[in-house]
Amino acid sequence: MQHRHVQHRGVAMKDLLLAVGEEGREKALARFLARLLETGVVDGLVVPAEAAPGVTSCVLAKDPRIVEEFGRPLAPVMTVSAARVVSEVVRKRPSGRVAAVLRPCEGRALVELMKLRQAAPENVVALGIDCEGTYDPVAYRAANGNADSLDMRQACRVCLTPAPLEDALPGVTLGLIGLDEREGVLVSVHGDLDPAVAAAVEELGLGDGEIAARKRREALGVLARQRQESYELFMAASGFDGIETFARQLAACTGCRGCRVACPVCYCKECIFDTDTFEYELGQFMRKARRKGALKVPSETILYHLTRMNHMSLSCVGCGQCEQACQQDLPLFRLFAMASRRTQAIFNYVPGRNLAEELPFTTFREEELEPR
Amino acid sequence: MVSSLDFEPRIVAFLCNWCTYTGADLAGVSRMQYPPNVRPIRVMCSGSVDPMYVLKALLDGADGVLIGGCHPGDCHYVNGNYKARRRMAVLSAILDEFGIDSRRVWFRFISASEGALFAKTVRDMTDALRALGPNPARALWIA
Repeated sequence: MQHRHVQHRGVAMKDLLLAVGEEGREKALARFLARLLETGVVDGLVVPAEAAPGVTSCVLAKDPRIVEEFGRPLAPVMTVSAARVVSEVVRKRPSGRVAAVLRPCEGRALVELMKLRQAAPENVVALGIDCEGTYDPVAYRAANGNADSLDMRQACRVCLTPAPLEDALPGVTLGLIGLDEREGVLVSVHGDLDPAVAAAVEELGLGDGEIAARKRREALGVLARQRQESYELFMAASGFDGIETFARQLAACTGCRGCRVACPVCYCKECIFDTDTFEYELGQFMRKARRKGALKVPSETILYHLTRMNHMSLSCVGCGQCEQACQQDLPLFRLFAMASRRTQAIFNYVPGRNLAEELPFTTFREEELEPR
Repeated sequence: MVSSLDFEPRIVAFLCNWCTYTGADLAGVSRMQYPPNVRPIRVMCSGSVDPMYVLKALLDGADGVLIGGCHPGDCHYVNGNYKARRRMAVLSAILDEFGIDSRRVWFRFISASEGALFAKTVRDMTDALRALGPNPARALWIA
């Protein structure tokens, strides 16, 4: 969150500029990514690619020509969080290394997954990219990829991290905010990136990015203030006077677990809610129904959502994928924003801020909290 | 609505095998008086109490949940009690945010020799829950 102090690793940045010509920003970026893949410093590239009009999916690309032709690094949809994609690709500790184009929320979620040992930092070169917001993928597909009449997703409208957190992972930041198409794309190489990769990037014929970096910094400052305001307004409209009101908001939940599947940080191989712990016998249903007068079935709706908040809200990056996945359009982004604001504040924890920071549940201080 | 006078709070207590459970036993063998409102569940460590268990108790009929763990430095598993304290802090924040009073959940360090403290804790908690009234989540059929 904005008001929290961000601890810097003190990473030096080398600011370069990718020139953009007639072909436009996205094509120039796709060509840049294709050439990076061509150098062979990475074994593969995770990037959104256009699979059909209005449909972009993350792909693991090996062939630079595919990246150049179908790569959509600026696709304004996040069908699946790339954090999940990268984790799936590198979870089994491969010897290879993939570069991945990551929106800020995807990069932060990936840091959380790395802390949870669902991806290894040495297998990933993070290509963090500024995010100008995303649309609902279903609406975007229906509009054949024309976003003119679409509203940006709620999570993006109040997003407090439109730019990658540069201290999170060693890599490259691709800066767009504050720069118009013809000004090019800022390519900032992090000082602690593997020198071989850094050298390969620098040899791709980039110009000096110092002016662009300054312009972007100023624009980010303005954007941060606007977003903070939107976020505060959004959160001010949240609140429950009792558990009944909260339960009513979730009453339409069908128990499909789509939110859990879409969540980039929910990682258990087998979720307790899928085990026979929750396969009740008739007698158990009857006892619950008798106690309450009636029981909504599928049951354990509130238990499921509150448990997920307990397990995952500390790592919640506010990407809104849960709400995007919800077939009932439940206000899951808002509910998780409420929970994570409270829980993250307890430990002054910002998920995805820094790989070196411990997950709050894996550590403790002797002198903290109650009881003592 | 049940009036606070004839309302008997139901407390589910998750008690650490190495300390509070033995403390409760000591309270019993020492014939200490405390209200029969508590249903103890023996667990191997307060650190093994997933917040889900506490939530399930609260949504399925408990008016309060007591978690009893070892004093700092005494955990049989080195630091499970400290980790439990973090989990319970997160749980309390979430309960308050969504309309379940976190004063229904008590986390206490009670050692095996503190039978009197266990009895007092149950007495105090029963009184506090009586004052809070029945847990509204108990009658919620969307659970």
